Amino acid sequence: MKYMIMMFGGLGAATQNRPAEWIAGMHELLMKLDRELKESGECVASDALADPSQAKTVCFTSGAPVPTDGPFAEVKESLAGYWIVEADEERALQIAAQVVGYTEYPMEVRRIMDHSAQP
Amino acid sequence: MVTGQHRIEDLLREFAPQVLATLVRRYGQFDACEDAVQEALLAATLQWPGEGVPERPRSWLLAVAGRALVDAWRADSARRRRETAAALDPSGHTPPAGPTGIPDAGLARADRDDTLALLFLCCHPALSPPSQLALTLRAAGGLTTAQIAAAFLVPEATIAKRIVRAKQRIRDAGARFELPAQPQRTERLGVVLHVLYLIFNEGYTTSSGPALQRTDLIAEAIRLTRLLHRLLPAEAEASGLLALMLLTDARRAARTDTDGRIVPLADQPRDLWDTAAIAEGQAILTRTLGTGPVGPYQLQAAIAALHDEAPTAEATDWPQILALYDVLTTVDPGPVVTLSRAVALAHVHGPRAGLALLGTLDTDDRMAHSHRLEAVRAHLLEQAGDTTAARHSYLRAAKMTASLPEQRYLQLRAARLHQPAPPANPAH
Repeated sequence: MKYMIMMFGGLGAATQNRPAEWIAGMHELLMKLDRELKESGECVASDALADPSQAKTVCFTSGAPVPTDGPFAEVKESLAGYWIVEADEERALQIAAQVVGYTEYPMEVRRIMDHSAQP
Repeated sequence: MVTGQHRIEDLLREFAPQVLATLVRRYGQFDACEDAVQEALLAATLQWPGEGVPERPRSWLLAVAGRALVDAWRADSARRRRETAAALDPSGHTPPAGPTGIPDAGLARADRDDTLALLFLCCHPALSPPSQLALTLRAAGGLTTAQIAAAFLVPEATIAKRIVRAKQRIRDAGARFELPAQPQRTERLGVVLHVLYLIFNEGYTTSSGPALQRTDLIAEAIRLTRLLHRLLPAEAEASGLLALMLLTDARRAARTDTDGRIVPLADQPRDLWDTAAIAEGQAILTRTLGTGPVGPYQLQAAIAALHDEAPTAEATDWPQILALYDVLTTVDPGPVVTLSRAVALAHVHGPRAGLALLGTLDTDDRMAHSHRLEAVRAHLLEQAGDTTAARHSYLRAAKMTASLPEQRYLQLRAARLHQPAPPANPAH
């Protein structure tokens, strides 16, 4: 089973007023976790996305697709990064809990659908 | 008999462009020859470690690549087969055959020109820069598609397609395998130098991704530039580029800490700098300066040398660096040069002078989407003591960058300047 563990743009805003030691601690936690998930083979893919404020959204406006500045969702709900892990739900939730325990900001865990028919 | 894995790889990298150039010289059809050489390199990688390096490795590669080329022709259409018959029967100037039945290598002089012609072809102006980079690394550098893909952090299929398209474009453009004559030659050499510079930069500061530097690209850029410098020792800018790469790469070990975090130049432990690379870069630069027109690579190398020579950050000769940036501004003006010049200006005449120069870039469209302008402004504002504005600029730069290590560095710089909000205002 594969799960996507998602981090949102609101985390950036929520951490802006934290002291430098706290920010450094968060970076350390994320780097350590990323390294562990890759070494254990659980990590299928992981990426951080550029800040949502840099996003562009293509809208259908006046009968044509038009790119506009800014993310589709609100910045705080916009996807900021993810891990895709090969794990059961319990383990995926446990990974997310490690991050949320530090950042105090929510993460979403969602099953990735299979391409093959279910047995 | 030499069987060391590294020795084999070095040999293959050295011979790859020579073998390819010999085949192209003989048969034309750059794209088919390039595929054939890749096959020969693969065969060597599989066979040599077990069976030992052949007595004449270059002839071996040439023979295997030649066979692969003929096999490809055989497998091709009847129309192509007729063309092949003509190609395989070159009247007149066939070089003497070696023991393998494939004519052996020509003279050193011809090799030199061939390798140069190959570099010029890979950096053909009809190609987009990403294609120039990929083709140069494969055809002239002897890297496999998989190695190039890993270096650029993109899927192998992407690089494979890029190379196929590049070869298609070269064919469509009617590009010839020869050294361009003047005045095109100087212009085309400029493109080759730029491609090597881009490969180096791609390795040195990745535009995205968790690892800040990819040493394989750096090593390859230096190796190819060293080769170019050896082929064209009188070209001052080729020498300048090699010196620039060596003097910049010398600081590699100090650029990040053990956790992969960025360490700014002023805070780097200078005992980690590579003194041998610095000495070599300085020697090349000293030999080169004054021998030809002074170009951007020589100037940037001279600036890098001044940083490398300073025993401490405080001892840096900023007035001399500023003077070099002044020359660079006249020789090769651009927003990136202005940005660096602002830093030097701030060191010599104070942060406000630097900030004033940065202000001239605010309306420059080429800088509109770059986090660098904002990051430099943040540093200068911090030097000027304006912590509120500095913090704001660091955060803005952090939002704009697409490099994760840079983003983390900028977030930390911002956090360091943060004054905790008064407890009366807990909403934030």
